[in-house]
Amino acid sequence: MTDKTAKLIFWGGTLSSLILFLILTVDTHRQVGALTHADKLSAQVLDGKRAFQKYNCNDCHTILGFGGYYSPDLTRVYSRRGPDYIRNVLQHPEVAFANSFRKMPQQHISETEIGNLVAFFEWVNNIETNDWPPQDSKKYRAANRLSSAAGVSRGAALFQENRCFDCHKLEGVGGDTGPALDQAGQRHDEETIKRIISQPQSVNPQATMPSHEDMSASDVSAIAEFLAKQKGEGR
Amino acid sequence: MIAYKSQRIAYPYFVVALFLFALQVVMGLWLAINYAFTLPQGLVDVFPFSTARAFHTNLLVLWMLLGFMGGTYFMIPEESKRELFSVKLAWIQLILLVGTGVTALIGFLFGWTQGRPLLEIPTSLDFLIVIGALIFLYNVGMTMIKARNWTMTQGTLLAGLVTLALLYLFGIPFYHNLSIDWYYWWWVIHLWVEGAWELVTAALFAWLLMRITGVDRRVVEKWLYVEIGLFLFTGIAGTGHHYYWIGAPKYWLWVGGIFSALEPVPILLMVWDTLRHVKERKAAINNPVVWMFAIGCAIYHFVGAGVWGFLHTLPQINYYTHGSQVTVSHGHLAFFGAYALLNLTVFYYVFAQLKGITNFRQVLGKWGFWVTSISMFLMGLAFGVAGVLQSYLERKLGLGYMVTHQNMQLWFHIVLVCGLFFLLGVIIMIYDLLTLKEEKAR
Ligand code: HEC
Ligand code: HEC
Ligand code: HEM
Ligand code: HEM
Ligand SMILES: [Fe+2]
Repeated sequence: MTDKTAKLIFWGGTLSSLILFLILTVDTHRQVGALTHADKLSAQVLDGKRAFQKYNCNDCHTILGFGGYYSPDLTRVYSRRGPDYIRNVLQHPEVAFANSFRKMPQQHISETEIGNLVAFFEWVNNIETNDWPPQDSKKYRAANRLSSAAGVSRGAALFQENRCFDCHKLEGVGGDTGPALDQAGQRHDEETIKRIISQPQSVNPQATMPSHEDMSASDVSAIAEFLAKQKGEGR
Repeated sequence: MIAYKSQRIAYPYFVVALFLFALQVVMGLWLAINYAFTLPQGLVDVFPFSTARAFHTNLLVLWMLLGFMGGTYFMIPEESKRELFSVKLAWIQLILLVGTGVTALIGFLFGWTQGRPLLEIPTSLDFLIVIGALIFLYNVGMTMIKARNWTMTQGTLLAGLVTLALLYLFGIPFYHNLSIDWYYWWWVIHLWVEGAWELVTAALFAWLLMRITGVDRRVVEKWLYVEIGLFLFTGIAGTGHHYYWIGAPKYWLWVGGIFSALEPVPILLMVWDTLRHVKERKAAINNPVVWMFAIGCAIYHFVGAGVWGFLHTLPQINYYTHGSQVTVSHGHLAFFGAYALLNLTVFYYVFAQLKGITNFRQVLGKWGFWVTSISMFLMGLAFGVAGVLQSYLERKLGLGYMVTHQNMQLWFHIVLVCGLFFLLGVIIMIYDLLTLKEEKAR
């Protein structure tokens, strides 16, 4: 190779890539408003972003998949858990995660800041991310349920699809935020379980479990029927 | 054995860098302990993982930049055949940067942070860093201008350093839109490690190879053009591999995927180039440790950045691995292979020169190299297995995050053990460097 070709590769390569990149950057700026619903970016959402940065949440939690990998991604936390649950976690992380093997610090966040953070998560929840993350994609979870329902009851498959395992153990598998449900059928009848699922506060006003009001009645029944059968023979 | 007195300024830069490196690794161990064990709430409240992570990564960036700066100050007089413009400015810059860095770390302990990963340093301190960078560029630029001995290697170095400083500016503002925030966050992070830093290290590496192998400058510099041309061609548009899931247009899946998939090519070229120069050397091998680090760096760079990067860069795969422990695995292998080993190569070469040693004690350097390289590789593998488990259990099967992590704990214990060995290797290396002396004649 001659010196001249080498220089040609250098300038040609660098400039072509740079120009393409800059053009696409301009175009991304043109489209990003629609993709992120920037019209809904209110002053409260902005304050929420400021609080998010102030408490350095991002060095434990990823958001849009970036940051520390120590705790759950927060891109879709609003639809995953709902505002009340998020509020409760931010007020009392030491209580919410008392049984967990990994802790979140009590940072004494003010009520206003908590409201702002929730507004921020609500806005982030609607960013169009090409259906990432898969674990929070409705489409993806439903497809998984269909493929697994063949082997188990519909109730069990829905229990998995609706992430009840995130917080509850069955036969030793699952999270620690809520109680294990191996004896759910002994503690509650099927009707009560239905109410706990769709509106936990209607059974226990202090409940912190997220409500599932938009779940269809037939799905709620199927899960409740499945849980009512759990009478502690497991394990 | 140095030609210019002002080259001595590299020494304090490197000593500080080594000290910060050790501290960074200790913080890494602390992070691994956070993963492997349940810590009491009271401790988490005062020194949370988030703060420790900010320590770990900021120390990393600080020691590496100090290493590059020290290396530049050592190389420039030799290349331009002139004393540095001002040794005093170099001292002021060192004190300013280290002072700012230490202030930032203490600030993190009290929650003074910009709260963006890797760019946690608060805005007011950012300005001090910018001043430090300007002093540095002025000092280097004036030396080159006064000397008027332009070489391709100097040009590459200067271009890399100026770009590095300019890109940092994009990390300073408060962005309203989270997607735009991350868009420009990657202008700092990606365009640094896969752009500007590649230029800086390619130049330092080319200079070092010319020194130790005695290979003709024309040959080395011709290939340097090709390498950095390909680095920038693939690396600039390759930034798109971070724009798949952030709320940016869909074409990034194509642009990011295709360009970044080509990123291993220039790294491979660099490995091939290095091995060829070594084979066609005109000088005798007098300090094998330096050669070992140089060749090791080229190969490890290819494995950590090229191979590990390629493994998760295509959107079809990245959909499942994005933001998982797979990323951590790659982050460690790439940073260690490309930039930690490069700095250490330069440190070994320069320390011997500064102390006027022709044949230094080799045994500790070899131990340091193998212990750190192997334990980091095993650590990367352990993070990698944890990451594949996470991608499968959390993302594919839809188990919750915490449930998935219960099933990954074993691998974090393994990370911790590898980390302890890594620290041992680092201590050996630092001790060796600081006490480097002539091998006793046998
Ligand atoms: C030291 C690390 C750490 C910091 C800092 C931190 N968190 Fe957490 N957070 C956690 C952990 C760990 C969990 C999960 C615990 C569990 O589920 O057992 C969690 C859980 C959560 C959850 C519930 C997520 C879910 O999917 O159920 C929310 C919401 C949350 N954190 C928000 C925040 C916000 C907002 C901040 C900043 C004000 C923050 N966190 C700071 C560690 C942290
Ligand atoms: C984010 C965590 C979380 C999720 C997700 C969750 N729960 Fe709960 N659940 C709790 C907590 C916490 C409690 C304990 C009572 C309270 O504070 O609400 C609870 C209590 C219950 C109880 C009563 C148990 C008892 O012994 O009294 C049942 C039944 C239950 N959950 C079922 C479900 C089902 C079914 C799902 C899935 C659709 C689900 N939970 C999802 C957190 C959760
Ligand atoms: C004892 C050795 C080390 C251990 C145990 C260790 C451990 C860790 C851990 C647990 C994290 C946090 C990942 C997360 O956010 O969940 C981390 C982050 C990081 N570490 Fe280390 N580390 C070590 C040494 C190093 C070294 C030597 C380097 C560089 C050469 C390095 C570079 C990084 C980087 C770049 C990150 C951020 C990663 C990312 O965002 O993906 N670490 N480290
Ligand atoms: C020396 C060069 C490199 C270094 C130091 C490096 C370092 C890193 C680090 C630290 C991260 C994590 C950043 C974060 O989210 O906190 C990362 C992410 C990534 N890197 Fe690299 N990298 C290098 C080269 C490459 C190359 C050549 C490729 C592709 C071929 C690549 C592909 C990726 C991808 C796809 C991600 C995103 C991971 C995700 O989606 O979470 N990297 N890199
Ligand atoms: Fe990248």
